[in-house]
Amino acid sequence: MLPKTRGTNMKDEHIISLVESKRFAGLAESERAEISSHAAACESCRRAFEAVDVSSLLLKARVNEEFEPSPFFQTRVLALLRERQAANEKWAWSRLWRTAGGLATSMVATVATLAVLTFVIPGAQAPDSPNSAAVVNAYSTDAVVLDAATPRDDQISDSDVLATLYDADNEVVK
Amino acid sequence: MRRYGPRVFRVASRFFRERSMVEDAAQEVFLKVFTELRKYEGRGSMEGWITRITTNICLNLLRSAKRRPQLTASELTEAESSWLDTTLARAATERHRSSERSFVAADLAQRVLETLSPDDRLVLTMIDGDDSSVKDVVEATGWSESKIKVLAFRARRRMREAVERLLGRGHAAENAGN
Repeated sequence: MLPKTRGTNMKDEHIISLVESKRFAGLAESERAEISSHAAACESCRRAFEAVDVSSLLLKARVNEEFEPSPFFQTRVLALLRERQAANEKWAWSRLWRTAGGLATSMVATVATLAVLTFVIPGAQAPDSPNSAAVVNAYSTDAVVLDAATPRDDQISDSDVLATLYDADNEVVK
Repeated sequence: MRRYGPRVFRVASRFFRERSMVEDAAQEVFLKVFTELRKYEGRGSMEGWITRITTNICLNLLRSAKRRPQLTASELTEAESSWLDTTLARAATERHRSSERSFVAADLAQRVLETLSPDDRLVLTMIDGDDSSVKDVVEATGWSESKIKVLAFRARRRMREAVERLLGRGHAAENAGN
């Protein structure tokens, strides 16, 4: 592109940058006159000036075209708006339903898990539970205070064994 | 919609030339306005807010559309060629000025604008076509002033080059005639 510096004497300078730096309609009359005089002697600037002039006219012609809303435009927009709102509500309900379904499923799964833990697993461990309970409770206050002196049913002391043996021998002698 | 409809259509008309596209854009604008009315904070005018929504929607629609790489003189219709010839021959005359509102000129303008990027097109039509100030473009787009000035400078150059290519065809014809 041709170089240009904006100065007072435009005869020896190209005007391309000037016409691109501001809108064509915004050029002052003096600037236009200077541009025209320069363009008369400079072929490339003349073409640029013509192109800018035509561009300006084209743009003006373009923006002068306007459309008015058609008679049914408002009805169409409102109908579409209602349609979208209905679609949004439907989507919201389906999303809520899906969320609730997921929640219900997880609740059922939790209840089933708890039921298994409560009824099935304790039954399988039933024989061990008294011993474990005894071990657990052996040092409790009740066990120490109340049950320490009382022998358990399944425990047989040495004296009981000897008494049983001697009683059996005595019966044989008799 | 009755109040702001004309404004929305006027802005959308800067971007699109087909009525159906203008109405589609305006429809999207009003749907967005209705659904996002809560987001309007009342800082600026309602018209300014709607103008910005319109501008953004139209820009997005333009960006999603395929751009023509370049308009060549051979693609011009007979009427467009005639308009260019008349314009060149009668530059700066009153008859020339009266023809600027013609359908042909607007059609040709649209075809040239389609070779530019959506941003260039917006800046050109607003500043050079609609005589809007840079501040108006700032309000409509949210871009910085410096960006808009740079865009305007480049867009003018691209538009000039595109028109110059078309006019080159006219000059070539003139030279051939002589």
